[in-house]
Parts: sequence; structure tokens; C-alpha cells
Amino acid sequence: MRSIGRMLLQTAAAFDRWVRDPVDPRPLGWFRCWLGALTLVNIILLWPDMPMWLADDGVLPPELHQPPLPGPSLTVYAFSGAFRGAYSADTAAILLIRGLGVVGGLGMCLGVLPRCAAACVWLAITSYSWRNPLILHSGDALLRIATFFLIFARTDAVLSLPRWLRRRRSLAAGASEPPAPVPAWPQRILQLQLCILYLATGIWKSSGPAWQDGSAVGIVLQMGEFQRFPIPDILLTPVASRVLTWATLAFELGFPLLVWPRALRLPVLAVGLAFHAGLEWMLNVQLFQWTITAFYLLFLQPASGCPAVAPPEHQRPGDVGADRSVAAAGSAAAKPAPVRASSSTAA
Amino acid sequence: MRTDTPAARRPAMLLVRHWQTILVAGYALAVFSWTMPVGVFPPKQILDPVTMPVMRAFGLWQSWEMFAPDPRREDIRVEVRFVNRAGDGHVFMLTAMESMGYGERVQRERWRKFFNDHLRLDDERRLWQPFAEFMVRALRQEGQDPASIELVRWWRAADPQLGPDTRPDVRRTPWNSHVFHRWTVPPEFGR
Repeated sequence: MRSIGRMLLQTAAAFDRWVRDPVDPRPLGWFRCWLGALTLVNIILLWPDMPMWLADDGVLPPELHQPPLPGPSLTVYAFSGAFRGAYSADTAAILLIRGLGVVGGLGMCLGVLPRCAAACVWLAITSYSWRNPLILHSGDALLRIATFFLIFARTDAVLSLPRWLRRRRSLAAGASEPPAPVPAWPQRILQLQLCILYLATGIWKSSGPAWQDGSAVGIVLQMGEFQRFPIPDILLTPVASRVLTWATLAFELGFPLLVWPRALRLPVLAVGLAFHAGLEWMLNVQLFQWTITAFYLLFLQPASGCPAVAPPEHQRPGDVGADRSVAAAGSAAAKPAPVRASSSTAA
Repeated sequence: MRTDTPAARRPAMLLVRHWQTILVAGYALAVFSWTMPVGVFPPKQILDPVTMPVMRAFGLWQSWEMFAPDPRREDIRVEVRFVNRAGDGHVFMLTAMESMGYGERVQRERWRKFFNDHLRLDDERRLWQPFAEFMVRALRQEGQDPASIELVRWWRAADPQLGPDTRPDVRRTPWNSHVFHRWTVPPEFGR
């Protein structure tokens, strides 16, 4: 009994270290920048149809509106009525969604006030999701969740226009500013989010007869409504359907476990990229493959350049002291963490 | 009289010091419960009502049932037919995705979502008349003057056993159709 208790305590302590030890800021920065580009594309694709989907005289009049979940949500519709003098409330809401989406997307891309930018994009996506849930796809959910947690993340260490300008000035003055480690918890939440996504979809699928007998992918590929680019005839056979169906299940159920060991991480991510590239080629599902693979950036381990972060194997259990972790969580963002003798990172 | 002792304060201090760990673990548990079938995770029935206000308020609600538990077994199209007051009839498909250019079909993916997954269903009949009225307004802006409008759903079985030659093609394979909504537009509508 005592050994089980000790093992549980050690597991909890390891999880605690994993969440609280500061991390290299670059994966979060890359993720923020790429996600910003995707949110811009998303808002541009939605732009021309917004009056049809979201306006009061569109396809879903207010009297038919049913929010995704009952109860209050924070959306632009809470205050779009304030513009009534100039615009109707629904027109004002559309203008706000467009404005927040574009300004926020640009801010995320360029690293300009990235937390505010993420908040803008999150509000825009939450608002149209609330107004017309009947047009949503899984990519919307991923963008909404990711931008919410980017509100709390320090992501301006790389791919940031203000930082680049600061560096140019400081280099001219003979100084340089290395990127400081940042709190890990937003990155950890997003990593776990991706793993739970794969696990959930894998479990849901594995209960379906078509996924069990290997016909599911064949059925989907027969549907003209999902067609994108031409597919070789060999993929449209029952044998290929079985192979692709079961490979999909294996990947989705395996990813949440296999992505964590360092030795397997890159191969697993490479398989995932190939998997989603194949889906992107075969299926016309807007932006989902791009958004889900953006999360892969959070699993990358930059080879060098952030000397203040130590790999977990260099940390003793006693290192997880409250004082140090409080500093790491709250203020590591503001001040550099203690320098340790390593150049690799704790992704 | 205050009864706080160092021992009594310890759990609160632990919560404060480890808030990130508690948040990450709590979120992971909430999302796991939120996205799993109840048969796989029975505590879902207790956990989900507790976490719902937070998931809703912060836009964190989610489900990942893409093509699950089974993909739909029918290929779908939705069509609009209308006759102008002058007597000329017109027909156009809203979701003939394969006949669109690549850029257009990406941009119109939400059309497929709305029309194929919702509008065409009998369970969503509340959407039919508002959509017909929207279409009449849109057609008038294009210079048409519809006197009647029909919404039609087309469907065919998507059967992988049929082989490559039978990829969906309205012209080559047998399709079924049904007019699911018909509206005679009053002349005074919208004027």
C-alpha cells in the first residue's frame, strides 16, 4: 500500500514539475504567429457570407436562434446594441466580429500586444459561434479554445515585430536580450487538449460499426460533398478503405500516448502531418487540418538558444520548491529564471 | 475567535502555490469528461453539469465526433427551384461542392454544413420558411421576381463496395429527390 502511495505522490510531483517549470518561449511564439495567420484566413473566408449567417434577416432570424449551450456567454452581442444610433445591432455585431477578427489576427501574426490580440480573436469566434452554431466545424472549436488560452500565455519572445524592433535598437547600442523562459501551463493545457481531442475522436469512432468493419473511409470518400482534389482509383476500393480506416483509428488512439516519449515524438508528429496532409488533399473540410497541425508546434523542442531552461532529467525532486515554482509561474515571465547548465529545453 | 493554525492554513497555501497544476489537471479532466461517451466515462453525468457554466462562459465547449460513431451513409445535395412572376423557371444547387472551383468549395464549406447537415432535415423544419424568405430577398436583389420557391433535397447511398466508377455524380448514378418545402410568395412580401 505504502509503495503505491509513494508512486502516486511521485507521479503527482512529476506532473507538478511538468506544469510549473518554465519552458522555452519559442514553441508558444511560433504557435501564436501561425494561429494568427489561420484566424485571418478563417475570417476572410467567412467575411462575404456573414450577413447570410449572422444578420437578423439572414437564414437564422433571432426568433429561431438557439445558443450552443443554454445560459449567458460573453459575446459581442452583449454590447452591439450600443451602436444603435449608427447601425442596427446585428450589423454592428457583424462589423465588430470582422474588426476584432482582422485586428486580432494581425496582432497575433505580428506579435503586437499578442494577449489582447488573442482576446479579440477569441471574442470574434465565440460571437459568431454563439449566433449561428449551425455553420460551425471542428476547426472553429480548436481556434476558439486555442485563442482563449493564448490570452494567458507569454508568446512575444519570437516572431514579434515589437521585439524585433527592440532588438534592433539594443543591438545598435551593443546589447542583446536573450529570450527568457515563460510559464508552461498554457502550453501544457493546449498539448493535453490535442491529446484528448485525438483520444475522444478515436474512442467515438471505435464504437461505430463502419469503423470496425473498415468501410468508414470508403463511405466518406464516396461522398461528392467532401471531394477536394482527385483521388487515385486504388484508394476507392474496399481493401484500401479497410487499411485507411484502421490506420486512422490506430493513429488517433495512439497519438495521445506515443507523442510523449522524446524518441518517438518527431516520428509521431511526422506521421500526423502526413495523415492530415492526406485528409486535406482528399476532404474539403475548411481549415481543420491546418489548425490541428498548428498544435504540433507546441510539441517541438528547439535545439538551442534558451539557456535558462533545463531539461526535466536535470531537476531533482527537491527542485520543485514552492518559492521557485511561484517565481516560475507568476513572475518568470517578468524576470529571467535561474540559469542552469544546459542548452536544451523542457518541452 | 480565529482558529487558523499553520496546519489549517496548509491546504489553502497548497492551492495557491499549485494553482497552475490544479488548473491544468482540472481542465484536462473537464474536457475528457465533456468529450467522452457516457458509456466510456460514467462520471460524465455528474461532472458535465458542474463544468458547463465555465465551458459555456469562456467558449470552451467542444465535441470531437467527426465522422463518428459512423459517417453518414448518404451523399446529399440541396437545391433551390423558383419560378418568376413572368413564368420562367430556374434551378440551382446550393451544395454541389464537386462542381465548384477549388477556392469556391473551400469558401463554401459552411454552406455544406448548414444546408446538408441542418436545413434539409425534417427535424430542422423551423429553418425552412426563413430560408425561403431569405432566398426571395436575395433573388430580388439579383433582379429576379420569384412567385414560388421550392427547396429540394437529393440523396444517394454512399457505398464503398461499388468501387471507383461510382463516385457520386448526379448525371451518372441514381439519385433520389424530394421537395421538402414549397412556398408561394405573396406579391406584397417584403415590399
